[in-house]
Amino acid sequence: MSTERSFAREVKSLRLGAGETFYGEGILAVTKGLLQAGVAYVGGYQGAPVSHLLDVLVDARELMDEMGIHVETCANEAAAGAMLGASINYPLRGAVTWKSIVGTNVAADALSNLSSPGVMGGALIIVGEDYGEGASVIQERTLAMAMKSGMWLFDPRPSLPNIVDMVEHGFALSEASNAPVMMQLRIRACHLQGSFTARDNRHPVVNTHDRLAEPATFNYSHLAHPPVTFVQEKLKVTERLPAAQTYIREHGLNEIFPGDLKRIGIIVQGGLYNTLIRRLVGLGLADQFGACRIPLLVLNVVHPLADGEIREFCDGKEAVLVLEEGNPEYIEFQINTILRRAGLPTRIHGKDVMPVAGEYTAVAIQEGLSAFLEAVTPSGLDLGEVRKAQTRMLEVREGAAAALPMDLPPRPPIFCTGCPERPVFSAIKLLESDIGKVHISADIGCHALATFEPFSMGNSILGYGMSLASAAAVAPFQQKRSLSIMGDGGFWHNGLATGVIGTLLNEGDSILIIMENGYSSATGQQYIPSSAAGKGGRAPGMEIQSTLEALGVPWLRRVRTYSVSEMMAAIKEALNTPTAGLKVIIADGECQLARQRRLRDEVAGRLSRGERVVTPRFGVDSELCTGDHACIRLSGCPSLTLAPNPDPLRDDPVTEVNNACVGCGLCGEVAHAASLCPSFYRAERTQNPSRTERLTNRFRRAVIGWMQPDGERPL
Amino acid sequence: MTGASTRPVTLLIAALGGEGGGVLTNWIVNAAQAVGLPVQATSIPGVAQRTGATTYYIEIWPDSLETLGGRELVLALSPIPGEVDIMAASELLEAGRAIQSGLVTPERTFLISSTHRVYTTAEKMKPDDGRFDVADLLRAARNRSRENLLLDLEGIARESGAHMNSVLLGLIAASGKLPFGEDSLRAGIRSEGKASDANLRGFEAGISAGRARLATRVPGATGGEGKSTVDELLDRVRTDYPDAPRQELEHAVRRLTDYQDSAYAELYLERLVPFRQAAPEVLASVARHLAVRMSYEDIIRVAQAKIRPGRFRAIRAETGAGADEPVAVTEFFKPGLNEICDILPVGLARRLLKRAESRPDQQAFKMSMLLRTTTVWGFFRLRMLAGIRRWRRSTFRFQQEQIAIESWLDEIRQAASTNARLAVEIAECARLIKGYGATHARGTDSFRRNKEALINPSSGDTVS
Repeated sequence: MSTERSFAREVKSLRLGAGETFYGEGILAVTKGLLQAGVAYVGGYQGAPVSHLLDVLVDARELMDEMGIHVETCANEAAAGAMLGASINYPLRGAVTWKSIVGTNVAADALSNLSSPGVMGGALIIVGEDYGEGASVIQERTLAMAMKSGMWLFDPRPSLPNIVDMVEHGFALSEASNAPVMMQLRIRACHLQGSFTARDNRHPVVNTHDRLAEPATFNYSHLAHPPVTFVQEKLKVTERLPAAQTYIREHGLNEIFPGDLKRIGIIVQGGLYNTLIRRLVGLGLADQFGACRIPLLVLNVVHPLADGEIREFCDGKEAVLVLEEGNPEYIEFQINTILRRAGLPTRIHGKDVMPVAGEYTAVAIQEGLSAFLEAVTPSGLDLGEVRKAQTRMLEVREGAAAALPMDLPPRPPIFCTGCPERPVFSAIKLLESDIGKVHISADIGCHALATFEPFSMGNSILGYGMSLASAAAVAPFQQKRSLSIMGDGGFWHNGLATGVIGTLLNEGDSILIIMENGYSSATGQQYIPSSAAGKGGRAPGMEIQSTLEALGVPWLRRVRTYSVSEMMAAIKEALNTPTAGLKVIIADGECQLARQRRLRDEVAGRLSRGERVVTPRFGVDSELCTGDHACIRLSGCPSLTLAPNPDPLRDDPVTEVNNACVGCGLCGEVAHAASLCPSFYRAERTQNPSRTERLTNRFRRAVIGWMQPDGERPL
Repeated sequence: MTGASTRPVTLLIAALGGEGGGVLTNWIVNAAQAVGLPVQATSIPGVAQRTGATTYYIEIWPDSLETLGGRELVLALSPIPGEVDIMAASELLEAGRAIQSGLVTPERTFLISSTHRVYTTAEKMKPDDGRFDVADLLRAARNRSRENLLLDLEGIARESGAHMNSVLLGLIAASGKLPFGEDSLRAGIRSEGKASDANLRGFEAGISAGRARLATRVPGATGGEGKSTVDELLDRVRTDYPDAPRQELEHAVRRLTDYQDSAYAELYLERLVPFRQAAPEVLASVARHLAVRMSYEDIIRVAQAKIRPGRFRAIRAETGAGADEPVAVTEFFKPGLNEICDILPVGLARRLLKRAESRPDQQAFKMSMLLRTTTVWGFFRLRMLAGIRRWRRSTFRFQQEQIAIESWLDEIRQAASTNARLAVEIAECARLIKGYGATHARGTDSFRRNKEALINPSSGDTVS
């Protein structure tokens, strides 16, 4: 469950009945689609852009209980993948979700073992295809994983009614072919705001209220274990594949749009359809309703291809363009094979005119289309219009580049104002002047933002919770000990087993810093096993510290992150101590976003009750700031910014603390720890002060006013 | 009614994570849905949704749903170069990013952008001035848009006590480019619920600011060449007619009197005399840097600044404290041996520094102090420190600085007689000396290296 966002309104729309209109985001439309399809259990692991799917279901506990649906927030994607095992032996429809490609990789073992025996109940995996603009993970496609395991993959045309239909078809296809089905949704499709006409929710037949009396009977062919694995390998191709192809064709899952230029055609992944149509509109080859002069085959299912459908579409065409993102071009290879086996002469264009790697943006598709049309010069088409549009696009881009020919400063995300993780990196940077640089194994999570300026720290990132494991063969070859950074989210996801236990087992001499901020923060502050208990009712409050103690970590410190000098001392000690083996520093500081949200309500309550409230904030005396910005280089806090120098004799801008300051105190700590400059101050306002405080305040201000120099007038 | 439209109205919003771009998008989507126009919105919310660049893209079909006769529209999920009708940026650099990608075009785009800047880390961390030139961004904004509304969104938001996203919505409404009226947007804000009063206030402030700006525009004078704005004129004045240094000189005299006394200010004017006949740029540069060098930072000056009456007023105002609410101010001091010696008499400072040469622990010594200026004892201590000013002339640092200043002036004088540009360069080197403690040491070191590499050989040439 997410503490960042409440889904009260969305929960309500999950109850909509037949004929009512659902308005909302793509990923929430999928959630509604699951309920309409009679899903019995749902699980997953958070990660953009699919976090909300699970968040909203957790918030909708009441409805889930009512319908007898089991919802599980899984410990990681492997757990979510394994959860689908329930559909092997039972007629239960199950859905899980995660961010792909990374989540699919983590789940790969379970998915292989699920795909081999196959399923009885429909198994649907909804993956956020984190590919192209805005993606935060390595750029690989889910298609390869689906293909090698024999899972089917949907890439639906991004329109809410179509996405919802495909969710329901997903379960039916899975049951018809006994194979798990994946559905990939790109970032923009997940955040797509639109509407669709709802259908009634379907209660699962077997549910948490109407339970099965007996377990499944023993059936060896349901096990992923030799010797049946050899049979299962064949079954995937001889039975499940044809069954799937039949279902796809019978239910028209892929869409064919006719056009008058019959000698050519385009085969496109469903997810790219809207961009393609809009470029065809731009070239004068289509209208806004999708009526198109070039025949289109839109693949809502990118795996498997239905051989017959491909043959029929291409038959009689001179050339067909395949629009398939990423590399290798698996779909293009398969289409070529299908056509050659059938002896069809249709030429296939694809990666010869399109970018070999990267997202197919509007510009890339227009350029590819015009190169394709120039190459095949179809009869009945005046290329003049196409060339004019292409020239215009070039002019727009050249005009834009000429207007601002210089590089603009990039704006990567950075640690939030007051983030408890920032001080740890300030401490490491300050230590560099003393001990020099050390190897840093970075990890996935908010702390990966330290790889950006002003810290620029981290030598490698090997995956979520993998930092310590990735240092295993670095440490033995370094004179200085190496640092691994890990979040508490990563620790529970994977880091405990692969990193901590592995290092202890091998007596690795390495340092691990665990950022204990209390939530899976980067994905929307979902609760994790070590979240403080009692908040929101679901966090079990398992402890990282006692877990490590129980495992026998030989050197363990817990340091409040904002105490930069203590953090520096702890890291320095870890680097120099004669104690061999794993050294762990728990960097303790609650996620500031979550903390501020909590405090806002608390403070408002205390103020309304007339209780005492102290609010700190920091400031810089602009008269004393000399504009060197060393404080910014050691912090990078968004609230620490520049302002014009009030001194007409100086040019360089001074540092200023803006109103976003939450008073975490890091800038003062850093200025102090680094002996930077005396221009920082902390100002604490006391609201509803006690009587004594008020009197003391009056007395002090009177005496100070009397002491105040008159001759020294401010400039 | 039959649907006569052939293309959607396209709207791109660029904001920074946490500025409420998502809510702004919802308001517009709500409004379009309420009047029955087909609408589609999507976003790239940015990694971790925190402070990085984010974009939101909306397409609205200008004819009502009924006119479609059941046909399904194909709306795009991402903005296309040359096909954006309204581009709204909550920050100027983000408008620049959209311009650079071709998403703002003179044929089609109404550009709405805030003129305020939220500096990127890369700009902020430069030791001098790393800020991107705003003039370039404003020029591109004017030249690349069909029409534009460039206003300080942050200022309007502050004055109206609302968030920037609501003000930006007001500006979008003021553009008159949306296919529905402003009342639908007001309803859109209300239907989103939360804090709708403040948001409506910001919305109205945005509409009136936008309207006022558009009303002053000469009709037809949009896009392309021949536009001159106040900003650009000011720039021209600044480059073509540099200020006579009179104003700066006045400031310098007042500052040095405050820093030390009137005699010290007089010394400043005497030191300037030899440059009266020099090239104006030499005089201007020396006048500025000499004043800064003569008012070097030491503990006395820090204490002086910390106890000014105006400072407490300003800090109280910043925290928003009421008349009877205590505000406690804590200062962070950590002077090292050098800073302490700076304000000691010459003989004593020399002895201490000499003894420390062989004692690394003394070199690394830092006197860590957290001082509460708002307590009587804390204020009194700072008052005493500021009082040392009387004896500043006999301090170690003062003597060192005067020697350094004289030799620097000497070098400028020599250069000025033959080569004004070199003289200015030498004068400008003083910019490197700034800060406290380690920062100051680093700056002084760069100054020395520059001097060795540049000044010494060059002045040698000019002499020979």
